[in-house]
Amino acid sequence: MLPQETRDWARQLLANEAADETSVTTGPAFLRVYEKLRRSLCAFAGIAGFRALATRALTLAKAEAPSLRALQVTADGDLQGLSEIEPQTEMHNGEDGEVSLIAHLLGLLITFIGESLTLRLVQDAWPEAGRENCNSGDGATA
Amino acid sequence: MSTQDKVTINKLPTGVPGLDEIVGGGLPEFSFNIIAGAPGSGKTTLAHQFVFANASPERPALYFTVLGESAIKMLRYQQQYTFFDPAKLPDSIRFINLSQIVLEKDLGAVLAEIIKEVEKTTPAVVVVDSFRTMVRKSQNGPTEMDLQSFIQQLALFLASWQATTFLIGEYAEDELRDNPIFTVADGLFWLRQSTERNSVVRKLQIVKLRGQASVTGLHTFRITDHGLQAFSRTFGLSGHKKKEPGSKRLSIGIPELDKMMGGGIPEGDSVLVTGASGTGKSVLATQFIAEGIRQGEAGIVAVFEERPQAYTDRAGSFGLDLVTPQHDGKLLILYLRPLDLSVDETMNEILDAVKKIGAKRLVIDSLAGFEMALSPGFREDFRESLYRMIFALTGIGVTILSTVEVDESFTEFPFSTYSISFLTDDIIRLRYISIEGQLRKILVIIKMRGGSHSQDVREYEITSDGLVIENERLRGYERLISGIPERVGRFSEKDKLPLKSKTKSKT
Repeated sequence: MLPQETRDWARQLLANEAADETSVTTGPAFLRVYEKLRRSLCAFAGIAGFRALATRALTLAKAEAPSLRALQVTADGDLQGLSEIEPQTEMHNGEDGEVSLIAHLLGLLITFIGESLTLRLVQDAWPEAGRENCNSGDGATA
Repeated sequence: MSTQDKVTINKLPTGVPGLDEIVGGGLPEFSFNIIAGAPGSGKTTLAHQFVFANASPERPALYFTVLGESAIKMLRYQQQYTFFDPAKLPDSIRFINLSQIVLEKDLGAVLAEIIKEVEKTTPAVVVVDSFRTMVRKSQNGPTEMDLQSFIQQLALFLASWQATTFLIGEYAEDELRDNPIFTVADGLFWLRQSTERNSVVRKLQIVKLRGQASVTGLHTFRITDHGLQAFSRTFGLSGHKKKEPGSKRLSIGIPELDKMMGGGIPEGDSVLVTGASGTGKSVLATQFIAEGIRQGEAGIVAVFEERPQAYTDRAGSFGLDLVTPQHDGKLLILYLRPLDLSVDETMNEILDAVKKIGAKRLVIDSLAGFEMALSPGFREDFRESLYRMIFALTGIGVTILSTVEVDESFTEFPFSTYSISFLTDDIIRLRYISIEGQLRKILVIIKMRGGSHSQDVREYEITSDGLVIENERLRGYERLISGIPERVGRFSEKDKLPLKSKTKSKT
């Protein structure tokens, strides 16, 4: 079971990205967050390494949010089928699928390499944002 | 070329305890090194230790991973080591995965990617883990020749960018010879791991290291929670000036024995106390240590056959207090009993203890226990290892007293089962003899390299005060050292040895 703190962290990343008016990347905040994580993690773990993590995270998220069922992870780690998901569809716990996917991706990283290193990798994905904007859900910073 | 004209090569800490001494003070800055060895031999951990010891935000480390261990799994496991500092990621240490480029493109593309990242970051340290997999990726992939060219270009580029580099590769033992790839490297670190009976033995060799003298030969190392720890064959004492032997004599704490040895044991000697089980070797050794402490000389006892508490308790039964000096930092009792120790590792522990308390006296009780604590492979080299150990310790002024048990024979008079008498300066032989229907004990000084000694055969007892030597030498008997002496000449009643009533048995 994913801790609430990890979900809060994912929600915060999405909120920060949505509020970022300086972002050069277009598209919805969810996609921008995912893309930043993908770039950062691919550099570190390789495309295959990221794809494996993302596929597992998506599987876990689909179990919570059926609205994600059309979503697929492509060979290079991109998301396919975005147009078919229903944004803000409520899950049983009031969470939406986008938060769930990002949270599970973070959760897997925490499981494998621990919170401290995960936090640092996430910070690396938002170098321009400063560390305070990348805090984990419980407010911890590196 | 005069010394001042020569370029100074900075030496970087390896981050591996013991390894700096082996490589001659540290790793040459800007050197291009290969770490080779079989899977599981500790290559990646060694590279990580170097990286964590040297990377900084100003001069970071780039760690390229290629097709081998998953980067996520690598970090999962490596962070378990105490040297792993997560605060160094990602500002000081950056991991970059090159798997996709290797799979989809050629070595040229890999080189281009490394160059791009190095130019962007200006790292102090670059690691490629593992470069060998780039050749093995497919049957139709690059050849060893392509790899040699790749490594040559990489070496040229990284040296120019002032980076100290490690390439990690899986190589089997027989690939060491005549491999042109290794000619490019400034340093070649070979890690070995072998199983000997039930023990695993790890050894490393600096096959080559340009620019400075390293300690040759195979050095044992261990991987613990702290990462690799290397144990130099020279025990970290290379370059140390050998202490000149002085004229000081160390009392053993047995006045009659001191007299027999011309005033005691010459300082810095190696003494062998040899005898059958129960003859009092350990008692004598304990008295030697206790007397040193009484005279303000710190001591170390390395025990292999009993635990420190038992050793301390037994000393107490002879009125020798080993508890207080342990609390006061004047005595360390080292219990060394794993069955896969190397002599080098044991020596490291002893040397650390010597430095810690400034020990002047060392007891090794016993050599048989010491040998049993070693991995089977090291037992084969026991004599040679013992030689190196005794030479190293006495060289820094430590006086060593070792005990060794010999099988009691009534036809021979062996000094040791190890044929190591030549390693010792002095030999004290204890043995049983049969007199007047009693099993008695005699003591004789076999040799003293530092001068003359008593030729007497003296009877002794183990009493509640320890080993006590009778005042007079044994007279009226011949063939004493055979263990079954015979009376000679007329023998008056007053010449008869008095019967012993009791003796302390556990020695």
